[in-house]
Amino acid sequence: MVHLQPDPFLNELTSMYERSKEKGSVWVTLKHSSMKSKAKRKKMETEGETIEYRCLVRATDGKKTITTSLSAKDHQKFQASYATVLKAHMNALKKRERRDKKRTAEVEQKPASSKNPVSSKKPLPTKPLL
Amino acid sequence: MVYIASWDEFVERSVQLFRADPQASRYVMKYRHCDGKLVLKVTDNRECLKFKTDQAQDAKKMEKLNNIFFTLMARGPDADISEVSGKEQVEQQASKKGRGRRQ
Repeated sequence: MVHLQPDPFLNELTSMYERSKEKGSVWVTLKHSSMKSKAKRKKMETEGETIEYRCLVRATDGKKTITTSLSAKDHQKFQASYATVLKAHMNALKKRERRDKKRTAEVEQKPASSKNPVSSKKPLPTKPLL
Repeated sequence: MVYIASWDEFVERSVQLFRADPQASRYVMKYRHCDGKLVLKVTDNRECLKFKTDQAQDAKKMEKLNNIFFTLMARGPDADISEVSGKEQVEQQASKKGRGRRQ
């Protein structure tokens, strides 16, 4: 398990996604943690010290695990970069083609019915008003 | 496995689950490019909520959920998420309106 700073973590995460394109999965786990053991936490609570919480992020491809922790200040910057990484790599998911295909299939299968009532998203041709 | 069909239900229940036990709860995301599948899991090691999808539109919704969880986990379970950026701006505007005087 390799602990990294947020930016190197993102770089490693990017390469994980690249490596796992043909086969494999990428797991990303988010956890709320104080990075202290339970005993230490209880001690700090009884002494009245405020425990600093962080957001722990882990990523693995099944073989290698990388991890980073974010403070309340870091998280917004990280979440923007993280979103960019995800958007760049998660492009194997299906777009809304199914609905269009279903609609065209229905239209083809039912030539008898005059109008297809489920055509809410088809753009209507705009007629210019004269 | 407890797969939830409705996205909104998944979001609501997972935030509740996290707030109930922030020390034990975690949010896991698994992505398989070769299968084009995305699975989300929120668990507190007692109860488990999962959501799976192969739709690109769900990836966009997941980004918002990611923001929510980042905020909750970095700032603490009592953090005011209010859908993060959306409603926070509204709150800021509301406070500005309160301060200004209209003559």
